Amino acid sequence: MSEKKRIYLQPMPVRIWHWINALGIITLIVTGAQIRFPESVAVFQSYRSAIEVHNVAGVIVSVSFSFWFFYYKMVRNTLDKLYMPDEEDLKHGLLRQLLYYCFWYFLGRPSPYHATPEQKFNPMQKSAYLAVMFVLMPLVGLTGILLLNVTPLRVLILMWGGIKVIVALHFLLACSLIAFLCTHVYLATLGNYIKPMLIGWEDVEEHEEQQAGVAATTPAYRPVRHYPEYAKMQQEQRQG
Amino acid sequence: MTDNQLKDAPLAKEGYVNYIQRLITKVSMMGWGTLCALAPNPAWGFSYGEQSGANEACLACHGDAKEVPRFAFVDHQLFGQTTHARIGCVACHGEVSEKHPDGGQVPRAECSDCHVEVAGEYAKGLHAAKTGCNGCHNPHLVQSPKELSGQEINQICSGCHNALEMTATHGQWLPQSELHLRMLPCITCHTGARNYFISMYIVKSSDDSRFGRQVVAGYSELKQLAGGREVVSLIDANADDYVSVEELRLFNRTQKSLRLHGMMTPATASHKFEILDNRRNCTFCHTSGPGVMQTSFIAVPEKDGSFKRVPVEKGAVLDALYVAPDFYMMGSTKNQALNNIGLAIICCGLVMPVGHGFVRFLTRKNRKRKEH
Repeated sequence: MSEKKRIYLQPMPVRIWHWINALGIITLIVTGAQIRFPESVAVFQSYRSAIEVHNVAGVIVSVSFSFWFFYYKMVRNTLDKLYMPDEEDLKHGLLRQLLYYCFWYFLGRPSPYHATPEQKFNPMQKSAYLAVMFVLMPLVGLTGILLLNVTPLRVLILMWGGIKVIVALHFLLACSLIAFLCTHVYLATLGNYIKPMLIGWEDVEEHEEQQAGVAATTPAYRPVRHYPEYAKMQQEQRQG
Repeated sequence: MTDNQLKDAPLAKEGYVNYIQRLITKVSMMGWGTLCALAPNPAWGFSYGEQSGANEACLACHGDAKEVPRFAFVDHQLFGQTTHARIGCVACHGEVSEKHPDGGQVPRAECSDCHVEVAGEYAKGLHAAKTGCNGCHNPHLVQSPKELSGQEINQICSGCHNALEMTATHGQWLPQSELHLRMLPCITCHTGARNYFISMYIVKSSDDSRFGRQVVAGYSELKQLAGGREVVSLIDANADDYVSVEELRLFNRTQKSLRLHGMMTPATASHKFEILDNRRNCTFCHTSGPGVMQTSFIAVPEKDGSFKRVPVEKGAVLDALYVAPDFYMMGSTKNQALNNIGLAIICCGLVMPVGHGFVRFLTRKNRKRKEH
């Protein structure tokens, strides 16, 4: 037996940060495209406006990124737990999640992972966010800050090998973020990810085993055959 | 016949009289020139009519800072490299009195006597009301734009226009104004030109480190770095007076304290200084595209203080990373290979939505059945 339960998955600061980021990054992509390809992209009437909006959006996203880091690391103290894949994730979780996305999902099997406030991300999400939030975002921000202050930060630019290196990095990292964004938006439609990011709460089905404390001792990424929903489904199939 | 009498003469006779006067003047100048050349005393050469070896004779005194007042001093070496040295001192200071130096005024020719077109152009510009030719050009030091590095063109302007003030004034509308003013000749925006090219010049860290303040490298220090060979050999390894992309890569990899700065420079220098509204539109330069970026030169310093332009392989500044690592103009110097890599990365990001989404659509019945 199972009953509906509401869990508070995305706290308010995280949701504000997420949507500021979303708006900021889309603005950065559009203005960035006009800055690099002014002959073919003309969203803003003048090139200068595109540069100014790009600079402002860049600063907002960088500050927002710093707040995100500060909030999870200092206030919630859950940064490492949420974003660092553990041994179980690397051994089984990643493969299981990959198999789910590539095969089981198409066969209509349930996800091997259910989000909890303490374990919000599945192993693949963790790995992707680790790369995005700890490598891509800081690097794209740093190269952007260098390009925004070419004269004052001249020595730093020389240390990186010249302005062309910085520009190439900024451009390729931005392309990687666009690639991530496409996957991110698509995967959000595969599970119940959009609603919690809007209102914070998610309705989840709580099973008897979980209520009895089984879930607390079971790893979050256990094999799908051990998952209560799957067992129930198989039982129904046998009965059917 | 005096000048006044000439003015009063009938117009029909004027051309004929002028012709006679010019002939007499020329013959007398030639006579004086021959006499001066034969003269045993070189100091005598200052006098009127000197033509043969006149520069040397004048510079015997005027090339010595102790002999003449500061305003009359002419640097022997720097004057020697100017086009004006070829036409000689007397071409401009023709009617020096026989008793010179007697404290009298030495006649000076008007620049417009020869530079008629330039004078006409200049008169239409903003500077005409402010200063004359020698406000910017010292006729004893003047060089053609081809013999200057981009940064030196701006040094002429900075004689009147204070760099800090200009940075602040331009900063009211121009993003990163300090960078723009440092990396562009003023004439790129303040004169009109039909075409542009990229002028590169060698800068050197003032403290020999990689990260020191960068100043235009001089002939002697570059000659020393080249191990006594020609300065151009630092870049043009095969000495064919043409710099290839490979030679530029090698230069940037091996020279730690030397770097190349580039400036978008007008192909022809106009003297009509103006504030052009289309230059306030960033796209004038930043959408100039790969067309303008095709042609570039390196200004290599010469022994006489001038610069020699060495042509560079077409499109070299558009290279992704190490051919011109310090030259980048947003929107114009984008590298096509990098664009393709960027597109490939974005396409990788579309694999999931497109590929997975397609199979998801085909298998939608499986999930509906399970739900029921």
